[in-house]
Amino acid sequence: MVISDAAREKIRAEMAKYPKPEGALLAALHLVQKQTGHISGETAQEIADLFGIHPIRVMEVVTFYNMFYDEPQGRHHVHVCTNLPCSLRGARELLRGLEAHLGIEAGETTKDGRVTLAHEECLGACGYAPMLRVDETYHENLDLAAAKRILDELE
Amino acid sequence: MAKLTIDGVEYEVKDGRTILQALDDLGLLMNGVDVPHYCWHPKLTIDGSCRLCQVEVEGFPKLQIGCNTPVKDGMVVHTKSERVKHAREGVMEFLLLNHPLDCPICDQAGECKLQDYAFEYGVKHARTEEPRRALKKNVDLGPTIKFDQERCILCRRCVRFCREVPKTGELAVFNRGDHSVIETVPGMQLDNPYSMNVADICPVGALTTKDFRFKIRVWFLEEAPGICTGCSNGCNVYLGVANNKVYRYVPRRNDSVNDTWICDVGRMTYEEIGAPDRLKLPAVRSDSGVLEAVPFAKAIDAAAARLRSLVERKGAGVLAAVASAHASNEDLLVLARFLDAYGIRHSGVTVRRGDSDDLLVKAEKAANAEGARTLGFEEAGPLAKQIAGGGIDGLIVLGHDLLDPAYLGGERTLAKLDTVIVLDTHVSALERVAHVILPVRHAAEKDATYVNHAGRVQRSWPVVEPSFEAYADGEVISRLGAALGLPGFDGKFDVREVSRSLGAAAAAFRGIDLESVGEQGIPLAGKG
Ligand code: SF4
Ligand code: SF4
Ligand code: FES
Repeated sequence: MVISDAAREKIRAEMAKYPKPEGALLAALHLVQKQTGHISGETAQEIADLFGIHPIRVMEVVTFYNMFYDEPQGRHHVHVCTNLPCSLRGARELLRGLEAHLGIEAGETTKDGRVTLAHEECLGACGYAPMLRVDETYHENLDLAAAKRILDELE
Repeated sequence: MAKLTIDGVEYEVKDGRTILQALDDLGLLMNGVDVPHYCWHPKLTIDGSCRLCQVEVEGFPKLQIGCNTPVKDGMVVHTKSERVKHAREGVMEFLLLNHPLDCPICDQAGECKLQDYAFEYGVKHARTEEPRRALKKNVDLGPTIKFDQERCILCRRCVRFCREVPKTGELAVFNRGDHSVIETVPGMQLDNPYSMNVADICPVGALTTKDFRFKIRVWFLEEAPGICTGCSNGCNVYLGVANNKVYRYVPRRNDSVNDTWICDVGRMTYEEIGAPDRLKLPAVRSDSGVLEAVPFAKAIDAAAARLRSLVERKGAGVLAAVASAHASNEDLLVLARFLDAYGIRHSGVTVRRGDSDDLLVKAEKAANAEGARTLGFEEAGPLAKQIAGGGIDGLIVLGHDLLDPAYLGGERTLAKLDTVIVLDTHVSALERVAHVILPVRHAAEKDATYVNHAGRVQRSWPVVEPSFEAYADGEVISRLGAALGLPGFDGKFDVREVSRSLGAAAAAFRGIDLESVGEQGIPLAGKG
């Protein structure tokens, strides 16, 4: 079993909050992913069993949202916004620079498993473009040198 | 009831229906009132995703989707205005943004809703220069279906079908926005007893059946109405016919029988019509014991001669007849008359049984078991015991279900009989013991009526002509009766006349015959 008993308890408590238990699927995915790092087929099956739904329904949601992963990820997520305002302020060059710095392409994970780099469509911080998100922290008004420094400091 | 005005005409519609549902109830959708649509399907839940069905509703500032807008009493709807036309053009342009230019190699061409509506509402030139989405062209979704991701317009009909009808839920939309694709989860296949229906409801050429794809261009097909004879549900189908050959069955809507679906097993029974093992030649067993092909008339005379000689020796009491649940009401009525006229007292109907489910598939694997019972034929189980026990010397047998383990379990016990006369559509082990063999017609080769499990009388039409000499069972028996000189038998078989006399033979048929049954069928008296 991938999902711990404690997590199962929490998921059941979430399900009770919604008119249809399925409404708690997003909450459950967040909870489980925190523990497992990504939602594998096996994990999806376990969640589906908890909700009494077909595992394909879980995978639909996982693939729909960017913040859920169906493959193993690095220890840190670095998401560079490349939507219009950020791009006008040099986000694409920033992303290319970070790719070169890490030796991977957006969507990939460094060999040591430290960082997964990705681009994102709008993180809602257009006033501070260009910007990136490291895990749950926003870093704004960046240039390449500042961004590299932030990445180098990650464990 | 609510009053609904569409394009200036007022209709009375049921409460609680959406505009498209109301139009469908009225029989007007795409049949007088055109509201093009992709995602909406009369037998699936509402999705509201394709946006093609937009109409103008007075009092609403914006256009509304017809599929998901409930009718309100007094509602006034316009489906032909400039605004509506413009909206359709816009939706079509979006749907075509990423669509490949596949029509020349696409199996759906000719029955493709994207083609049809692009022709009516499409703009002539693409305004984009960006490359189209490149996706998988030949995905093996399971044992029956191929999938072309590029052609998919993401209407989700197939997804909803799998969830709502067979309730197997194999398909889903993965990813989001212009990355969306239909897929199964890794390791899972689209594999359920109704899987091929997804190809029928897919409005484009994304889902095609492995069986039919690339067999023939659909514009060569005549879609002739008929019924599936695979089980006693009697699902309504269109037979796709060209060059005197049936290429496929697709479901024909009948809300009292099969909605818009058929099972995969039944769908494939079209293959029986032109099968290589059709019984093609009338034959008579010679004195040396081998079957010899003879002209039809000679075979009938030989059958009559054998029967006559047996009856002269032992009387009609040693004769029995086994009716087939595949035979039509008309065939069976003629057989019943023959039994009366000849004084044959032992008879019964054989019905092969198999799997059933709670959707369409019924356990009785023939189209007319209920018709046979209604006409007074009893289950042939006891008769089979009597035959096996040696109590019968001569047998007239329609079809070969008598060989089923539920009856004789093989032809061996028949080898002892003095006379075995076989009327059948397909070759079987009965050939080894038959003295006379007479080829008969399949349902798709004759006018005939059948009664389904629920007592609904339905009919078949002759849509192909056998390439060999074969007649309806009723006609063969009429000729046999004439050859035996039985009273009331002149060798003629007028199926319409026989059909009209069904009501006199069994009260449940009163007022029902070939002509009155029509394309949708009617219930037996007391069954509606
Ligand atoms: S495969 Fe066909 S039915 Fe399924 S979503 Fe795509 S277009 Fe619709
Ligand atoms: S359910 Fe029975 S009648 Fe319907 S398609 Fe299947 S076999 Fe044919
Ligand atoms: S048919 Fe109404 S939105 Fe698709």
